[in-house]
Amino acid sequence: MWQQVEQALSQSTTRVLSQIASLLPGIVALILAVLISLALGAILASILQRSLNSIDFDERVLRWGFQSIADWSPGKSPTLLVARVAAWTVIFTGFLIGVSAFDLTLTSALVLRFLEYLPNVLIAVVVLLVGSLIARFLARSVLIGAVNMNLQYARLLSAGVRWMVMVLAVAMALEHLAIGGGIIRLAFGILFGGIVFALALAVGLGSKELVTRSLEREATRSAAASVDEPVRHL
Amino acid sequence: MELESISQPALEQIDRLQGADLVVGVLDADGNGGPAASAAMVREVLPKFSDAARAVLIVDDGAPGARLDDQQPLSVLYCKLSEPNVTTEASPQTIFEAYQTIFGLSGRIGARACGVIASDLRTVTPEWIDRLVRPALEMGFDLVAPLYARHKWEGLLNRSVLSPLSRALYGKRIENPMGPDFGLSGKLMRRILDDYADLRRGSPRQPLASLASIAIQGNFQICQAHVGARTHPLAEGTDVSSLLAQVLGPVFVDMDRHAAVWQRVRGSQPVPDFGEPEPPPAETGAVDVRRMIDSFKLGAANLQDVWSQVLPPTTLFEIRKLSRQPPDQFRMPDSLWVWIVYDFALGHRFRAINRDHLLRSFTPLYLGWIASYALEMENADSAAVEARLERLARAYETGKPYLVSRWRWPDRFNP
Repeated sequence: MWQQVEQALSQSTTRVLSQIASLLPGIVALILAVLISLALGAILASILQRSLNSIDFDERVLRWGFQSIADWSPGKSPTLLVARVAAWTVIFTGFLIGVSAFDLTLTSALVLRFLEYLPNVLIAVVVLLVGSLIARFLARSVLIGAVNMNLQYARLLSAGVRWMVMVLAVAMALEHLAIGGGIIRLAFGILFGGIVFALALAVGLGSKELVTRSLEREATRSAAASVDEPVRHL
Repeated sequence: MELESISQPALEQIDRLQGADLVVGVLDADGNGGPAASAAMVREVLPKFSDAARAVLIVDDGAPGARLDDQQPLSVLYCKLSEPNVTTEASPQTIFEAYQTIFGLSGRIGARACGVIASDLRTVTPEWIDRLVRPALEMGFDLVAPLYARHKWEGLLNRSVLSPLSRALYGKRIENPMGPDFGLSGKLMRRILDDYADLRRGSPRQPLASLASIAIQGNFQICQAHVGARTHPLAEGTDVSSLLAQVLGPVFVDMDRHAAVWQRVRGSQPVPDFGEPEPPPAETGAVDVRRMIDSFKLGAANLQDVWSQVLPPTTLFEIRKLSRQPPDQFRMPDSLWVWIVYDFALGHRFRAINRDHLLRSFTPLYLGWIASYALEMENADSAAVEARLERLARAYETGKPYLVSRWRWPDRFNP
């Protein structure tokens, strides 16, 4: 009996050690792939940072109207954001290569799902960028228009428009990323509807007197201006 | 030039006229008796011209298509000069379109001189046509600009920006460089049409903004004619920001097109004028300075982010300082105003921000200037007003090197 026990032990030990031995190359390959990708990612990030700094990428992003990107970037630097995204992409690719050394079908499935998801990510990024541009444009239009109409709450209106457009853009981006699903739709509906409802209440009730005074002032001035104002611009 | 509002049969009728000596375009044919009154005025004036045997009157009747009433010595062409009808909704844009149509028709007819009357016909007399057209038809001048009898609160956009800017840029002291009533020679007309042909397809054509600059660039002879008081059919209820966008936009675009010309000009010279100046009409009502100062202060409080895209920190600081002045001490220095206008022209050129936003954000600053001018000129007589405006015009000339240097080397300064 002790011989059978010894035999069983020996066989199981051999089996486990064989399995471990078969995994070892894969593990070494994974570690190697990650280390190499770390090095490559660091080099790529350094090159990208120098190139983007040489063309004043941070200032250009601000001039193009992407203030929000600058605000959300690490160290408020879009250059750093781009460099880090590129570096992490390289590291992630290295990780996938390393994992494929274990199980080719697993990594193939992973890569396939990642590639299927990538267009959604790109569209979401585009939606956010376009939404940011539109929000900025509309906010500025409303601000200038409201100031020219002598509305004291011009800044409030402008901020309201900007946030409404950004909320819409974020909700659309999340929809494309298939994050949250129905919860996002519900939350967006409640938030957007709430903002509109709050604005309507503010105009109708909460700041009724302020709006009334402002509109009365303008109506009085317009009426007086049309009757007595001698100023002619042309 | 395409004459989209004129039907082909009408164009063929015009071609059968075999030319005319004089073309007169009347934009506001609804006032003072309609086309018949306009025709009567031209018939009264025509015999006074020794060289004009035949004339064509172009009137806007608002109807689609066009028809020609061919008679001697005056034929009348009834057509729609712009979309919409310039007499019912006369914004600067529709006035520009009407001018394009008149110029195109005059070029097709081959007239030796053209007169355009855009003012309300209730104030227009036959002498207007005579004074605007005679220098072009018989005295060798190419552009006859109007000199109106105005009280001190009239034509403020022209007085604050258009006239002194044109003077500083092109070196000619034209009081109303954008008319809108003009006399032109056939030679200048052809030059204008050639200029339009050179424009890229789809580029906006703004004849009023470029009339004076084209005439100066081409060394055409320019003069002015006293025509008396006027009213403009343009509804003064048009909001100021839209007005500024429609008027200043083409002016700044024209600056860009003719930059090579005005950068070489130094100082300014007067142009000859004809006719006797009439006394300005009496002012009615008081200027609501308070409202304009409030607009200026609201702009200073809320539009700093927008203005900082085109105005340097020193100018923004001066604006903020001015906004804190009590109303009775509210005075905008000429140098500040000139820098603001020049910086907005530069911002328009370099597209620092959306052009429409830029021009509309100019509104509180313009109203601030009016308030300052009104407070200063409240009890001033005509001579004092003229002296004041002359000082402003000289400030534009003095500040021109600033404009030229920033135009040529924008990277040396970044607000």
